[in-house]
Order: sequence, then C-alpha cells, then structure tokens
Amino acid sequence: MNDSMTQAKAEQENKARTHGIDISAIERSAEDISIDEETVALQVNNLKLYYGEKEALHGIDMQIPQKRVTAFIGPSGCGKSTLLRCFNRMNDLVDGCRIDGRIMLEDQNIYEKGVDVAELRRRVGMVFQKPNPFPKSIYENVAYGLRIQGINKKRVIDETVEWALKSAALWDEVKDRLNDSALGLSGGQQQRLVIARTVAVKPEVLLLDEPASALDPLSTLKIEELIHELKDEYTIVIVTHNMQQAARVSDYTAFMYMGDLIEFGSTNQLFTNPVCKQTEDYITGRYG
Amino acid sequence: MRVSVKEWTAKGDPWVWLNAGAVAISLVMVLGLLLLIAVRGLSHFWPHSIMEAEYIGDDGKVSLLIGEIVESEDVPTEQLRHSGVKVPEGEGEFLERLLIKTGNRDVLGFDFRWVLAAKLRDRRYPEEIMAIERREWGNFYGYLEDVKESGNVVASGPEAWEEFQSRIDRALALHEEIYDIEKHQIGSVNYTLERLRLKERRLELEGDKSPQVMADISAERAEQDVIYQALQEKLADLYSQVNRDAITARAMNGNVIEIPLSKIVRAFQPNGMGLFEKIGFYFSKVWEFISDDPREANTEGGIFPAIFGTVLMVIIMSVMVTPLGVVAAVYLREYAHQGALTRIIRIAVNNLAGVPSIVYGVFGLGFFIYFLGSNIDDAFYPEALPSPTFGTPGLMWASITLAILTLPVVIVATEEGLARIPRSMREGSLALGATKAETLWRVVIPMASPAMMTGVILAIARAAGEVAPLMLVGVVKLAPSLPLDGNYPYLHLDQKFMHLGFHIYDVGFQSPNVEAARPLVYATALLLVAVIALLNLSAVAIRNRLREKYKALEM
Repeated sequence: MNDSMTQAKAEQENKARTHGIDISAIERSAEDISIDEETVALQVNNLKLYYGEKEALHGIDMQIPQKRVTAFIGPSGCGKSTLLRCFNRMNDLVDGCRIDGRIMLEDQNIYEKGVDVAELRRRVGMVFQKPNPFPKSIYENVAYGLRIQGINKKRVIDETVEWALKSAALWDEVKDRLNDSALGLSGGQQQRLVIARTVAVKPEVLLLDEPASALDPLSTLKIEELIHELKDEYTIVIVTHNMQQAARVSDYTAFMYMGDLIEFGSTNQLFTNPVCKQTEDYITGRYG
Repeated sequence: MRVSVKEWTAKGDPWVWLNAGAVAISLVMVLGLLLLIAVRGLSHFWPHSIMEAEYIGDDGKVSLLIGEIVESEDVPTEQLRHSGVKVPEGEGEFLERLLIKTGNRDVLGFDFRWVLAAKLRDRRYPEEIMAIERREWGNFYGYLEDVKESGNVVASGPEAWEEFQSRIDRALALHEEIYDIEKHQIGSVNYTLERLRLKERRLELEGDKSPQVMADISAERAEQDVIYQALQEKLADLYSQVNRDAITARAMNGNVIEIPLSKIVRAFQPNGMGLFEKIGFYFSKVWEFISDDPREANTEGGIFPAIFGTVLMVIIMSVMVTPLGVVAAVYLREYAHQGALTRIIRIAVNNLAGVPSIVYGVFGLGFFIYFLGSNIDDAFYPEALPSPTFGTPGLMWASITLAILTLPVVIVATEEGLARIPRSMREGSLALGATKAETLWRVVIPMASPAMMTGVILAIARAAGEVAPLMLVGVVKLAPSLPLDGNYPYLHLDQKFMHLGFHIYDVGFQSPNVEAARPLVYATALLLVAVIALLNLSAVAIRNRLREKYKALEM
C-alpha cells in the first residue's frame, strides 16, 4: 500500500519533470482539493460570445470555486482574456460584442436585464495587464473607488487606504509619500497599487488579466506572493501566459484553446496528469 | 572628393537644406516683422531734437522754420521739376527732401510739411525751444515768453521756464481732480439717475405706480440732485482755479499766442535734455501710451481702453467657448453613435473653422443683435425702449460671436485629446465600479484638459487678432467708459468697447492726421502682438501645469 503510493508519487514527479514544471511549486498548492467540494463563486453556463458574426467563445461551462485561485492558460487568442472579461462585463465596452448564456454570481445572472453593471464591477474587481494607475496621488488612486461610492469621510477613507495598501503589501514602501503622484512608482509598485485600488472597494472576486506580464521577475514574485495572501479573502481568477506561474499560484487551472474550455481541474492534476492530449501537448511545449 | 548629385540626393542632404532654409526664412520673417514694428513704434516716444532753420522760399523770402525732422528721402530732381517745384540748374540727380513736424496746427493750419533740404539754411538746435503737448490742436513748438496768472505777467525771460513747469504740475493735479469728478462721481450720479428713471418707467409700464414708491424715487432723485449740485459747485471752483494760469509763447512765424495751462499736458525742451532725462521722458511717454485714455481723435495719448477691451473680450470669449466646446466634443466623441451622422457633423464643424470671419460678424449682427437682442430688450428691458439695451452691438455679442467663431477649434482639439486617453484608464475606472459619466468626469476629462487648453490657446490666438466681425458687433472708435467699472452691476456687457485691432485700423486709415498717426499704428500693432503673446503664454503656462499633472499618456 505504502509502496504503491510512493511509487505513484515518484511516477508523478517524474512526469512533471519531463514536462519542465517545477514540482515543488505544485506541491505548495497541492493540498487535497477537489472541485466538487468547493463552494461555487461563479457559475458559467453555456456561455457563447460573438464579435460581430464571429463566435469567439463556443459555449463554456465551468464553475469558479470560492476563495481559491483559478488560472486560465492557453495560447494567444484562445479566448481566456475574453472569458475573464465576461465576469465583470468588460466586454460590454467592445463594439459589436454579443453574449449568449449565463454567468451566475450568487444566484444572480449578471447578464440579466436590469443588472447594475457598475455595482457588478465593484463586486468583481479587475486588474489589467499593464499597470494603469490614474494620474493622481497614490492616496487618491486607492480612494478613487470609495469616492465613486460617495464615501467622503476622511477617517473612513484614511483607514481603508491604509488597509488596502497593506493588503497589497505596498504600505511600507509608500506610507511616507501617499500624496506623491502614483506615476512615480515602479512598474511592480504600480501594479500592486492597482491591486490595492481594486481591493479597497472590497470586491468578492478579483480578476487578474496577466498581472505580471509587464513586470520584472522580482516584481512578478511579489505579485505572486500577494496572490497567495489574498486568496484567503477573495476568489481570484488569473489569466497567465506563463505556465510556471499558473503552477505556482493557482489551485485550479483551466486550459482553453480556440474558444473552447478543453480541460479544467486542480492544478496539480492538470499539470501532472492531464486528461486531454491537447493539454499535455501545450504544457509540454509541444504545441503547434 | 567628388560626390555625385545622385549620391547627394540619396543621402537626403537636399531635404535637410530645404527644411532648414524654410525654418530660417520663417524665422527671419517673424523677427523682421517684430523688429520693424518695434523700431517704428517705439521710436515715436523718444524726445526728438527740435530744429530751427531759415527757410528760403521760392520767391527768395526768408522765413523761420521750427520743427522735428521726422523723415528724409531722396527724390529725383526730374520728378520735382515736373511737379512744378523750382529747382536750380546744376543740381544732382536726386535731392534730399525732409518731412518736418512743425506742429502749431492752430497757427499754421497743418502739422507736417515737406521741404527740400537745400532750402534750409543755418540749421540750429537752440536749447530754449520748447515743445508743448496740448489737449487740443496738437503740439506747439516755439519760445516761451511770459507766464501769466489771471492775466498778469508773473514771470518772463529765463526764469519763466521753471515757473511754467511748477504751474503745469499744479494744473495737472487740478485736471486730474476735475477728471475724477466728471468721470467717476458725476458719472455715478448720472448712472443712478438713469437707473431711477428706468425704474420709474418700468413701474409706469407695469401700472403699479403706488404713491409710496414714487415718493421713494423722488426722494432718492432729490438726494442725487443735491450731490450733483455739490459736485457742480466744486467743479466750477476747480475750473476757475485751473483756468487761472496761462502762458504766452512765440511760434515760428512770429505770432505770440496765449495758451491756458489747463490745455497743456506737458512741456519740455528736448534740445536741452541730457541722455538720462531723455530716457526718463521716454518711459513716461511709453507708460502714458499704455495707461492713458486717447486724445485728439485717438492720435495722441494712450490706448488703455483698447487694451482693456481686447483682454476683457478675449476672457469673456474663452469663458463662453470652453465649456460649450468641451461639452460638444465629449458628446461627439464619447456618447454619440459613431456613424455617418457623426461623421457629417464632424466635417461640418471642421469646415466652420474655415468660414470667413466677417460672415460670423454678419451672423452676429443679424441673429444675436437684431433678433435675440431686441427680443431680450422687449422681454427684460422694456423701460429703456426705444433706446436698445442688448439690441445694439456690445461686449456680450462681440464675445459670443467670437466664441462661435472659435468653437470649432476647441471642439477639434478636445476631441483629439479625448481620443488620446488610453483605453486602460477608462477600463481601470470602470472596473472599480464607476459609471461612464463618473469615469469621464473624474479621469478622462482631467486627463484631456491639456488638449482642451491647447484648443483654448488656439481660440485665443484667433479671437484676439480678429477685427472684421467686431466692427459689426460691438467695437467702436472711442468708448466713453470702460465696460468694467464701479457702478452696479460692475460688468456692463451691453456696452460698446474699444479694441486694439480696430484701433490700428481706425488710427491708421480713418484718421484725419495720417502723418501723426503712423507711428501710433506701429506702436499699437506692437502692443497688440504683445497682448496676444501674453494671453497665449498664460494659457500655455496653464496647459503645461496640467500636462505635468496628468502626464500618464505615454505608458
């Protein structure tokens, strides 16, 4: 019994190594988790998305588990960012974009008529590929979302700003220059500021669209650590090009290809023992 | 080493030379223009020496000529002969001819005359010759004889000059007092009386002339009359004081005339002045030009009202055009469906910028003044009819007309600014739960504000230099009072005003005294350029500050 387990594990390790994935990274998130036991944060049902006549997502069904990190991987143009942007209806801004199907957030279809999109986006926050701080002070950047909500009490804002900056592990670096322009920060700091800004409005879900792709390795590391800390509080969905990063930070991984969800499962399982041939080809770099 | 033409062309050298040449030509032209108007305009204020010479007339008679040499030119002898001037044989091909400002229009009938240099003999520059700037009849050149007080000579000969100077100071002080009473105090009384009249008339029209109100009005009117009487008495007293002194002076034709001191602005002896004295004099003249009211059909004195009018009109124009242009641009760029209609509107807006400005003037006169203005008068100012309040050209209509004229510039610049705001900024704001309007208001518009300022700068540059439409909608040769004063409601949008551009046109081309006005045209042009540059620079400074603040665009 014991033997067979060891053997299985060794086999697994071996396989992972051949795939070029650092197994210890997976180990870190490889607690015994199973998608069936999770509480569902976002339920996607038969989601189709059209850009004009062209169908870009072909009926996606999936469940995003609550307070876990879910990573979307896949080659460029596979629709992973598009799917991510469906969760807070960012695609509404794209001309000629049309959506079929449902996305349920707490028993509420977010694509139903009469949904307050601004309120939805407050609940489902988003961080983009390039840091996009506003040309305001660091303080005002974080306070922005609060001011939008009409919160103007200085004490409340002060507290929230400090808490949000601490959550984003940026407080120590900027506490002495909160009134300086946010544009003076480095790229990595800017991205953490954007995360703080998003966290400040206390969303339920955090969508991260390749948050580290424009950053240097050290900043990337910090962002990844931050994701680890934030997952206790938030449901996190991250799109990444970097498979190591997906392996390092996520609990669950979804592999997408050409507008289809190919495989979705725990990161551990997907990287070590993919069910689909396409997934295996992709994670082993044998794609194309 | 020989380089073939082909090689030379391929390296791009001709282009560099062509471009550099174009830049150089532009620079030379701009600097040349500025230099020309600066030299011509600024030298006008320098105290030129006054020449005295004997002039030999055609019949051999010798007379005295006093004046400033303003200009000299070489004229072909042939041409002079043809025009009937007697030129002795044996002269060269060209003769020098001088333009001499002789002043003394009251004595001689004209200010300027052309004389052949050869006919002047014995030129000299005696220190005692004085020039007097007067409130009427232009300059006087000649010799001081006596200073009189109430008709009696108090000083004559050499000590007369000092006595004269101190009495001028006294007369100027009195004149200032008189000016203040007439212009401000009596002006304010008149303004109050006019308002009372209008109030009474309005009550009459409305048909509720209750005796109580009428009594109030009469009481107030009586009060104003008392003030007026007091001011009149004071004025009469001041006038008798200021008219006390006079001088007698000898002009170049030997006539001795008496000039009351109340008519004198300043007297000076340029031939006796040292360099520093001249520099001091120069700056006091320049200051007078910038800060004083015009005299003598705008050919003397200052142009302050014109500067004031120009700046005020431009400011009011900017205040009107900026919000309107920005709102229109935001709608076109952010809210309107980008289709054929928006494209047509955009083309139309762009073409509006190319409509000749006089067309806007006609539109302003026809629509704003005759239609809107007279309707406003009917609705709100019936008591003043038949004399129009807003149904006549004025500051407000001029500003609005120019605001329409410059609207396309602001719209286009703002639209371009909005288009340049990165999508990521809008998405960042929207992703935080902001609505589109909140995103626009808090992120997009502040970031586009430098572009808006660029639009405003272009608008100012265009509006400040515009004259043609203004002639139809509010600018006058001489406005009796500034559109901003101490009488409620302080800013009088219905008043007509003076404008530097129109002033140039008026002084240069509508003046009876062209020779006297010409330097003023240059000086005013220089000032107009300076005012526009100043307005532009301040707008540029604001824009740069905004740019510094929102320099997030290059990410």
